[in-house]
Amino acid sequence: MDEKVGKLWAKYLTKKTSSIYEEEQVFFSERSRALKIFYHLLGGDKAKSINITDKRFIKTSRTFFEKISGTGKTFFLSWQDEKGIYLPASLAYFPSKKYNEMHYYWLIAMLSKININSNNIIEENMKTISFLVEKYSGFREFYDYAQEFMIKNSLEFLNHQYLSPLWIYPALSNSNKLLDFDDEDEPLREKEKQDETETLKMKKKAEQINDKKETDGLLLFLPESLMSLLEQVNVDRQENDTFDEDALYNAEILDEITLGQKDANLSSRLKMDLDISAETLEEYPLGKGHFIDEWDYKKECYLKNYVCIKPFIWINVEPIKLPQRHVKMMKKIQHELDLMELDRIKRDNLPYGDEINIDSWIDYKSHKNCSNHSQRFFETYERKTRDISTLILADVSLSTEAGITQEIRVIDMIKDALMVFSESLYRLQDCFAIYTFSSIKNTKVNFHIIKNFKEKYTDLARGRINTIKPGYYTRMGAGIRESAKILDKQQSKNKLLLILSDGKPNDVDKYDGRYGIEDTKKAIEEVKKKGIIPFCITIDMDAKEYLPYLFGQNAYAVIRDPKKLPKVLPEIYMNLTKGN
Amino acid sequence: MSKNYYLQQSNEVELFKTASSMNLPILIKGPTGCGKTRFIETMGEELGLDVYTVVCHDDLSAADLVGRHLIDEKGTFWQDGPLTKAVRNGGICYLDEIIEARKDTTVVLHSLADYRRTLPIDRTGEVIEAHPNFMLVVSYNPGYQNILKGMKPSTKQRFISLSFDYPKATLEKEIIIKESNVDEKTAEKLVNIAGEIRQLSDSDIQESVSTRLLIYAAKLITKGFNPYEACMHSIVESLSDEDDVLEVLEKLISLHFKKSCDVSKLCS
Repeated sequence: MDEKVGKLWAKYLTKKTSSIYEEEQVFFSERSRALKIFYHLLGGDKAKSINITDKRFIKTSRTFFEKISGTGKTFFLSWQDEKGIYLPASLAYFPSKKYNEMHYYWLIAMLSKININSNNIIEENMKTISFLVEKYSGFREFYDYAQEFMIKNSLEFLNHQYLSPLWIYPALSNSNKLLDFDDEDEPLREKEKQDETETLKMKKKAEQINDKKETDGLLLFLPESLMSLLEQVNVDRQENDTFDEDALYNAEILDEITLGQKDANLSSRLKMDLDISAETLEEYPLGKGHFIDEWDYKKECYLKNYVCIKPFIWINVEPIKLPQRHVKMMKKIQHELDLMELDRIKRDNLPYGDEINIDSWIDYKSHKNCSNHSQRFFETYERKTRDISTLILADVSLSTEAGITQEIRVIDMIKDALMVFSESLYRLQDCFAIYTFSSIKNTKVNFHIIKNFKEKYTDLARGRINTIKPGYYTRMGAGIRESAKILDKQQSKNKLLLILSDGKPNDVDKYDGRYGIEDTKKAIEEVKKKGIIPFCITIDMDAKEYLPYLFGQNAYAVIRDPKKLPKVLPEIYMNLTKGN
Repeated sequence: MSKNYYLQQSNEVELFKTASSMNLPILIKGPTGCGKTRFIETMGEELGLDVYTVVCHDDLSAADLVGRHLIDEKGTFWQDGPLTKAVRNGGICYLDEIIEARKDTTVVLHSLADYRRTLPIDRTGEVIEAHPNFMLVVSYNPGYQNILKGMKPSTKQRFISLSFDYPKATLEKEIIIKESNVDEKTAEKLVNIAGEIRQLSDSDIQESVSTRLLIYAAKLITKGFNPYEACMHSIVESLSDEDDVLEVLEKLISLHFKKSCDVSKLCS
């Protein structure tokens, strides 16, 4: 009973001391994109993130009620540091949603204009306020209203002038430790993860082998009805397991291998049905690997056969349908694709066709000697043949394991993007292939086939997209050269190399900084010389510094929000290839 | 005194006149609505040359430029296209958004754009030598990213190039006032709005607000439209269809211009 009374008392006091209109509350999460755009609109730094702030402790003079209720010590303040701007998760100071929403816009405007490095924050606030009210009549109106309202309704605001909700507060000098713990943790966590993942990966490989034996054993307990098939499973499985150095899997004909050939035996398909694929999933090397050159900018020459490319394919992948979460987006994209399909190409001056082309006919008639003039006055409409081959090269370096949110990692977005994009290309009937790469020094550039040009886009290809895992580093030049080699063999008139990356070229050896950039640039030059068009899509915010240098203007796109990648990728592609 | 109003931003007038006197073709790059067409029309007036404008598109064929046979009651006859007219009679042939035209169409320009200055017409077997006052001007908007549509380097390298951008704030204000007779304060606000929206162009919106749209807004305002509404119809709605973007742009306009009804009364 005592506890209950206490709770009610605390609730009453808290309510009495807070000047919050809960019903008119406006939440940041519902407005985040609009607020971000508004921040950019007012010239806010586009590299800064917009975040929700935690409560901050400020020493102020508290009222009697505040003291007994224990409130008035911590506040949700708006502030910023070099990395981002921080806003309260919700606002409800005013008795109307409209004004509470305006309050967010006001804070964004203050944050975009205030000088972060100023020592005198009070003066800086006053300066910014007068700038805003002078420039924007809308803000003047809001500010006047807010001031008046606060004076009229809650004198506390006046007492603690320092705590006006319309103001921007300094970043705590120790903000990195106290408030910014999420960000602060990130690099540490990532570093830990890196080591962890590397060892984990190693462990996993060993485990996989053990697992296999266990599974083989387990299969013996399967119902009798399956036993006859089981024997076959085991036999074929053994065959598949032996390291194959057969010419069939030679990396030189990498592009020719389709999963159809590999998967033709019933056994592996059956095995997938029987087993949980995650346990039997494995990287299958396609030959021992082969060597390609790398550009050394210091020596100004190619290091011949310096990089070892190791092609792999995932086997025992579980085929999957297009995940439900993409269906809605796909419908939307399909609509745009249909519009592209409507484009038809007119061919005239034909000896036969659907209709008479009046121009050609008149030309024919205007000739003095009609009989000598060929009777090519028909025209026909054909569906546009897009005649394009696209190779998508996805960077799956370890950095793609970084989290966008707690649940979503960059790699998940890359996978989703590949899934939706492949679906779009498949429906457009454009020829495409998908490869991923990651590297550990020049001795090992893993090059995974997800789908090659000859293979049809099936549930199995989707399954392979679904199995993509983050690898190691980003030896981009090698990945690009290998892809160009494959694209070069394609017969189509237009060839597009679409590189999907989350960062700069880098590796643990000298392939970092300028060396990696110069090699990648060289590789791109080679690509262009082959008549292939390279285009890079990246989610690296710093990309603007080096991408124009690597790809040239108009040959790259920076996606600021990785979550948008699945939606944006098909859009970019359509934009790039429209009106062929 | 020319009929058109054009305010020089840099040395473009001088460059154009020099190129004209030397029979050099000009390529103008610049975003939509920054004044490319107006500039060329003004130059045409100042130089006393007719301007033959062709807006290029996907289906523009060489015959649309050069000409074709037509029929009348007497039989067939040849009708010159805009390019041929300019080549024969002198004048500026202006191909707007040339990047939109098919590559095989633009090839007919090659012999006109270099030292030969001739136009061969296959259908009539003629080779026309360009009139001394003939000038070729093409324009495109480099903002469009389309890898399959770029201008052929062999075409591009036959032109003197000139880059256009939106005018500086003070110039833009002057242009708006001159074009619409709007008061200075409103013009200044419009320019401020444009300046802010243009900060979004490489990230959140595809195309930015053009001087042309600002003039539209100003014209509506001088006709008695409420400035807020004028901006909504001529600027905001033209720039995006995305809800978030529209919301923010609307907010921006409402910060500069009051809505027709008093919002504070509605809210309180």
